[in-house]
Amino acid sequence: MKLRDMRRALDEKKISAPELAKEYLENINKYDEKLECYITVTADKAAAQAEKAQEIINKGEAKALTGIPLAIKDNICTEGVRTTCASRILENFVPPYNATVMEKLEHQNIVMLGKTSMDEFAMGGSTQTSAFKKTKNPYNVNCVPGGSSGGSAAVVAADLAPAALGSDTGGSIRQPSAFCGVTGIKPTYSRVSRYGLVAFASSLDQIGPIAKDSHDCAILLNAICGFDPHDGTSSVNEVPDFTAKIGKPVKGMKIALPKEFFADGIDSEVRDAVLKAADEYKAMGAELVECSMPSLKYAVPCYYLLACAEAASNLSRYDGIKYGHRAKGADSYEELVIRSRSEGFGEEVKRRILLGNYCLSSGYYDAYYRKALALRQLIRKEYDDIFENCDVILTPTTPTVAYSPEITADPVQMYQADICTVTVNIAGLPAVSTPCGYDKNGMPIGLSIIGRKFDEQTVLQISDAYEQGFTPVAPKL
Amino acid sequence: MDTNLVKYLAELGKLEFSSEELEKTAEEMTDIIALMDTVKEIDITYDDLKDNHNVYLDNLRTDEPKASMPTSKVLQNAENTNNCFVVPKVVE
Repeated sequence: MKLRDMRRALDEKKISAPELAKEYLENINKYDEKLECYITVTADKAAAQAEKAQEIINKGEAKALTGIPLAIKDNICTEGVRTTCASRILENFVPPYNATVMEKLEHQNIVMLGKTSMDEFAMGGSTQTSAFKKTKNPYNVNCVPGGSSGGSAAVVAADLAPAALGSDTGGSIRQPSAFCGVTGIKPTYSRVSRYGLVAFASSLDQIGPIAKDSHDCAILLNAICGFDPHDGTSSVNEVPDFTAKIGKPVKGMKIALPKEFFADGIDSEVRDAVLKAADEYKAMGAELVECSMPSLKYAVPCYYLLACAEAASNLSRYDGIKYGHRAKGADSYEELVIRSRSEGFGEEVKRRILLGNYCLSSGYYDAYYRKALALRQLIRKEYDDIFENCDVILTPTTPTVAYSPEITADPVQMYQADICTVTVNIAGLPAVSTPCGYDKNGMPIGLSIIGRKFDEQTVLQISDAYEQGFTPVAPKL
Repeated sequence: MDTNLVKYLAELGKLEFSSEELEKTAEEMTDIIALMDTVKEIDITYDDLKDNHNVYLDNLRTDEPKASMPTSKVLQNAENTNNCFVVPKVVE
């Protein structure tokens, strides 16, 4: 059921909030052992929140999300509920405060079903670096669900939650959404407060919704945006109603197709599906505009240099003293810190700390880090140039469909698979991924719509327009 | 990248690796750095003055004293004695 149908059913008393929560908790009991989407299921909290929500509905005071069950990625701080970031180092961490997005959702009296699995510290695109739950793809349990928000995308696909929050540093909402056949939006950088989001790369991280379609994403996005004095980078821009342009015609709009996103590295079935979607936009009266983004060939290294440099600094806070895993029997402060970190972090996290320290080191700083900063400026400029003549950009979300977990053993191959998503974070733009087809094995393919800064409304309008003519196929569990 | 450089970077990151891990990590990092080296192909320079235009200095919080998080909450995820963080002895 879509969020808007759920709202209607709750308000018309066709179902109660406790009944709705119970349905989803039953689905979780039935399927989560197989799919391993949730690190923590908060059944008792959900039941209590649902009772409270029903009281509010009964009084006729329901807000858009009152009584709606949601899943939350496990890198978003939830007061009193364990937040692990899928890492041994935070295995027993119980936040003493809520992330701002959780405050906003609790203000609407949502029902939290649980915390979803992810790549450790959001570092990965497969959810296979999770220390606890290596989530399976609901369309084929022998394939990855994508990542890092793999748990959040899989729960929506498998109906273990009607919608979820994820976070996106280099594609972590859009890529798993594409792999799991659902819709996810990475908002403009600064649209959503990062306060209480466990930091990976602070200039790139952004929280966003994953849902059944663009309209539901817009509803959830409405609830979490806005200026937050706790986040110095959060935007003071007015927050519009993100559902306002849903359903409006796309006739006359200009959709750019940068040729580099459709080049040799893109699987032919993916390319064909996205180009077919482009033709459908043309049939709706939109104008397709060919364009170029020459800097795309540098995007992956640019992204990894920036993200890892920031991660190396951000992750220095884990010392085994203030919170998180603490090594046993250390005789000195230095030994305590080194052993706590070495025991607590997984392999991929350690690799990224090493890479971050490498590119920030004396002798390498100019050649790598400052070059990556220069490339960020170039990528932003190339996007600005395209948006001078176009309303949105259409690309594939991923070069391939979901793959086997074995492929994730090669870090370089994994990094290169981020080619279609990272530039959006580098430039701070909003972008949605929504399903546009299935390959010969029935695995979902995603298209991506990238918009101008703070123009989520148009991005969602255009992805919704495609969805109106597309019939999604549900996974067989 | 050789094992000595990995060891140096690990020290900077307060990490330690066994000798087997050092070998494996050095191989992986060599491949990763080869990918990062792509950025050396392009001749561009970072313009420091162009960035940081998104920092909203007019909207900083006012500097008003207010109650902080209670000590019990600050310490709830730490080993503590007498409401203090506990570390191994650092003074001889």
